[in-house]
Amino acid sequence: MPGALERHHLPADVQESLDELRELSKRAEAGNREARRDLRRKLREASPVVVARASDIGRWAQQLLIDTASAGDPLTQDALSGRLDMMREEIAGENPTPLEILLTERVVSCWMQVELFDVLMAAQLWRGNEKCVSPSYLKHMIRWQESATRRYLAAIKCLVQVRRLLRPSMQINYAEQQVNVAGDLKR
Amino acid sequence: MTLERRDRRLYYYRSVREGEQVRKVYVGAGEIARISHEGDILRRTGQEAEREREKAELKRLEALAAPVEELSEAADVLARAHLIASGYHRHKGEYRRARSA
Repeated sequence: MPGALERHHLPADVQESLDELRELSKRAEAGNREARRDLRRKLREASPVVVARASDIGRWAQQLLIDTASAGDPLTQDALSGRLDMMREEIAGENPTPLEILLTERVVSCWMQVELFDVLMAAQLWRGNEKCVSPSYLKHMIRWQESATRRYLAAIKCLVQVRRLLRPSMQINYAEQQVNVAGDLKR
Repeated sequence: MTLERRDRRLYYYRSVREGEQVRKVYVGAGEIARISHEGDILRRTGQEAEREREKAELKRLEALAAPVEELSEAADVLARAHLIASGYHRHKGEYRRARSA
């Protein structure tokens, strides 16, 4: 795969935008009003490009993981691809925002990675005494497996937070009681 | 591991580590020394090949993890920026609405 490793990197301009967003977020979070204004402006400008490029990487990562897990078997490739499509649809829901689409791609990619690392780990252990792998190799494998699981859980948490906090809520009066409704209003 | 020749006869010793000390352990002489020595060389070569295979496998895992890491980082930065731009701030890992927002 010539240039395959380069393809998982975000382009330099997107990296720059992410660095700027990271810096502005930090300053805005510390209470700098001007930084918050700049952050909103920068988000309007950069968000669509970042979402598009990062989603591309997500799709590419999923394909790479599918190819590895299926070991070239077209039936397994199709099955996994279909499974990811179903997950994507289920998690993103109806009319997702661009940010939700990106966070969904992330959840799906992380899930696929956890599954693959679990299978690879199980295969190593299944070999039993037939051909022992070194303890340092197992240690590395466990580390990869743990960090993939952590990343997967963080991805779910992030999507839930964004859904919960960034969807506008409204207050309605029902039977003389005030009820706060959070939900699908911005769509 | 050392194969020594003394008085036209072969003697084979293995080096065994015991804590910080390395001890020379006698294995055998003559034909036994030769066979044990060749066996050890074969085993060591096999082990080295296995380590190389493991190293290549770990590199492959790293290449598989890298794009997902990149995606995760970009998504995190963007989600955080959106939340902070909407007036939230983090408190003990949870987002809360900032008073000034």
